[in-house]
Amino acid sequence: MSDNHNTVGRTGLGIRAPQDFAAGLFLVVVALFAIWQASDLPLGSLRAMGPGMLPRAVAVMVGLGGVGLMIFSFFEDGAALERFHWRGPFFILGGIILFALTIRTAGLIVAGPLAMFFGSIGSDEFRWKESIVFSVGLTAVCIVLFKFALGLPIPIIAFM
Amino acid sequence: MDSMFANLALGFSVALTLKNIALCFAGCFVGTLIGVLPGVGPIATIAMLLPITFGLDPTGALIMLAGIYYGAQYGGSTTAILVNLPGEATSVVTTLDGHQMAKQGRAGVALGIAAIGSFFAGCVATLLIAALGLPLTRLAQLFGPAEYFSLMVMGLVFAVVLARGSILKAICMILLGLMLAQVGTDLETGQERMTLGLISLSDGIDFAVLAMGIFGFAEIIRNLENPETRDVVRNTIGRLLPGKEDFRQAYKPILRGTFIGSILGILPGNGAVLGPFAAYTVEKRLAKDPSRFGRGAIEGVAGPESANNAGAQTAFIPLLTLGIPPNAVMALMVGAMTIHGIIPGPQVMTRNPELFWGMVASMWVGNLMLVIINLPLVGIWVKLLKVPYRMMFPAILIFCCIGIYSINNSTSDVLFTAFFGLLGYVVLKLGFEPAPMLLGFVLGKLMEEKLRQSLILSRGSFMTFLDRPVSAVLLVIAIAMLVLALLPSIRKSRDEVFTE
Amino acid sequence: MKRIVLAATAVLGLSLVSAQAQTYPTKPITMIVPFAAGGPTDIIARIAGEHMSRTLGQQIVIENVAGAGGTTGITRASQATADGYTIMMGHMGTHGAAPALYPNLKYDPAKDFEPIGLAAGTPILIVAKKTIPAKDLKEFNAWLKTNGDKANQAHAGIGAVSHMTGIFYNSLIGVKTTFVPYTGTGPALNDLVSGQVDYMTDQIVNVVEQIKGGAIKAYAIATAERSPALPDVPTAKEQGMPEFEVSAWNAIFAPKNTPKDVVAKLAGALDKALDDENTRKRLLDLGGIIPDKAGRTPEALQKLVVSEVARWTPVLKAAMAATK
Repeated sequence: MSDNHNTVGRTGLGIRAPQDFAAGLFLVVVALFAIWQASDLPLGSLRAMGPGMLPRAVAVMVGLGGVGLMIFSFFEDGAALERFHWRGPFFILGGIILFALTIRTAGLIVAGPLAMFFGSIGSDEFRWKESIVFSVGLTAVCIVLFKFALGLPIPIIAFM
Repeated sequence: MDSMFANLALGFSVALTLKNIALCFAGCFVGTLIGVLPGVGPIATIAMLLPITFGLDPTGALIMLAGIYYGAQYGGSTTAILVNLPGEATSVVTTLDGHQMAKQGRAGVALGIAAIGSFFAGCVATLLIAALGLPLTRLAQLFGPAEYFSLMVMGLVFAVVLARGSILKAICMILLGLMLAQVGTDLETGQERMTLGLISLSDGIDFAVLAMGIFGFAEIIRNLENPETRDVVRNTIGRLLPGKEDFRQAYKPILRGTFIGSILGILPGNGAVLGPFAAYTVEKRLAKDPSRFGRGAIEGVAGPESANNAGAQTAFIPLLTLGIPPNAVMALMVGAMTIHGIIPGPQVMTRNPELFWGMVASMWVGNLMLVIINLPLVGIWVKLLKVPYRMMFPAILIFCCIGIYSINNSTSDVLFTAFFGLLGYVVLKLGFEPAPMLLGFVLGKLMEEKLRQSLILSRGSFMTFLDRPVSAVLLVIAIAMLVLALLPSIRKSRDEVFTE
Repeated sequence: MKRIVLAATAVLGLSLVSAQAQTYPTKPITMIVPFAAGGPTDIIARIAGEHMSRTLGQQIVIENVAGAGGTTGITRASQATADGYTIMMGHMGTHGAAPALYPNLKYDPAKDFEPIGLAAGTPILIVAKKTIPAKDLKEFNAWLKTNGDKANQAHAGIGAVSHMTGIFYNSLIGVKTTFVPYTGTGPALNDLVSGQVDYMTDQIVNVVEQIKGGAIKAYAIATAERSPALPDVPTAKEQGMPEFEVSAWNAIFAPKNTPKDVVAKLAGALDKALDDENTRKRLLDLGGIIPDKAGRTPEALQKLVVSEVARWTPVLKAAMAATK
């Protein structure tokens, strides 16, 4: 019983499973977004289902699931909410976005090293010299492999 | 029976010429090497390597292509085990226990059992194609849209059973997957749904884009946060190949997986995709201690991998006997055959018996090649895990980017993968499992199509699902399984209430 | 660099343009195919592209950019630099039906391209499940009229060849059937073979083997003459329905303002490819129709595009309005 008191004390709202509560909230938000997105689609009837029928039905079920998770989080003990870090997501996803932005405008010769170098910063073991050498070297391997060995239409040098 | 052996003999006389053995080997080898690149699944591999076969005679070309297919399929399982990246829908399940085994230093055992299970499944499936190809096709013809829908419902129940933690959370993830599957152009009216006005979403979300995001990139981000988990992968390497104890645990799952995968693979409309999920569910149900699953249980690799390969093989049956490709990979094979002037259909078997039986025999040869190629490679793959993670993850990143880009030569696909990477990270942080979401996504597209087709054909009557006997039986099984899955958790939570 | 060269040619005038064209091509040419690898359009592009590469002395690289009924790839190709290094394989859908199906289409099939030439077409067939009692097209049309919306007609998705030609066929005989949509020819054909749906219209390459094997019935082929691949299937014309003449054509286009002599070079290479014995054989094996000399010119293609847009727009618009 004392354990429960601690949890209650920590969140102050009587939430005993903070992770589940957040998960439920997340689902409710996603569901509301989907319902809004699908709101202008005709529903149709069961006889002749319109394009909006299933998206809205599924979105409502997602929302109900989320509400369920939130309700249960008040009654059953569960995991605490994990801390979100920004370094990994920022650099990894940033690297991918950089790749997407440069592959057609500059080519793999720029996009490859750029994406890998930027992505590498996401690790706390990042060593910048090693990372530059490695990303340039691996890009060369990729060019040989994908462009010359497999003949894929990947732009190598696009800015010339 | 006699004719079957005569046919197989004819086939082997074609497949075992030096040239065709060499082509089969080359196909398997190149397929494995390309398929093992993270981000490059079987479809991308075959599309990439298709031009290589242009200069060959049709039989040789098809033998080589089939080799590429098995190689790529197995390569996809290799990345699933090593870096948690499923190459296609059928290797999603392999990530669950396979990657866990790798983290515990048992990557070699996982890869070995996958290769051996696949070989066994391949042998059985080859015999099945030779002996029962035609009658099995007729069985598959019993499946109309209604039966298909009921089968998919059963598939979703499998997904619930897959879940490691909370069942409610697993159901939520399946629903989220179903929701993502509905993005894109409406099948019936051509209206765009939930595309946010983006043209690149008008054909829906690509499986590879979603899988790479929520599995591949999200896993990298998570690994960067928890140095301990990845150091385990780097530092300990157990025995390289499966030992006696492993075989004792794995042989029954291999048998069951082969059976399940073979049957589901024949069904038109990508039944093969259900095979590994069904096999996993069966193993987990039968296990004395189901809690081991998801924590590196060898049965969770052996069963699904056998089912995967058996299904990959029997998926050729509708293609070879009816000329109807059951999934995207087989559609690509149709294209490849057509380029070589052979239009697949019921006539191929009688008009080009050397080609037909040569290809069937080469399936067996191909499976043998896979074992020969992959058992020595296991050592190399496992050594790859020793590469420091700070160098490994940028390599995975770039291969994934190039792989995703090459599917449609589209940069927006790459951007969406980044978005799903973020979604995957958030979902992991909130304690959800991504695997049920992926299954929901895969089945969602098929399910909606079949549901709406059934209702159009029945002019709006839901009774069609119960009036048709096969469909009714499938639904009853699904409900029974759901009840079985839910019972323990209800009892468990009651127990918890009582102990309080 | 490319842009500088182009600017320079504009300043220096024609002499340099022709000098550039004499050397064209100096690097591989990208041909955008707006469908996935392995489909009929992709196969025709690969077969034609292979021979054209030999004539041009540079590789034609196929780039598959699938999506939105092929309009994604064509939109991208239409916006590429008009230097002859990006060309595309358009077809009946992207350059005929798209204006009616996609209100937000970013290109005009008749105005935004330099046509190069028609590559090959594939004939359309009316196929039905085995158990339909009708013996020929006349009886089948009558069967459809009596059954009306009780008849289940399959198609492979909005804007697919089977969908467009199916609407066209229905509009000719004036019936309204129940459309059952599938996500591709494979699953649709499967349900036709097993008798879940009644009929569909589709390209010969997809159905030829099932017809020969007796798994489905063919009522008519929508070409002027019978196809050598299926000599027993009578044409719609023979059976008193000459209006139903339609084929899924595939043709090569370049972006607008591609230099005239580059277009001529490409058209010449295509012409040579279609004269080549081996290329012809491969296309004919597919059941394909190879255009005659006069039908291969850029001018003929331009005429075809204009007439196809005019043919499809009213039929499809009427059908789309009916479903809303």
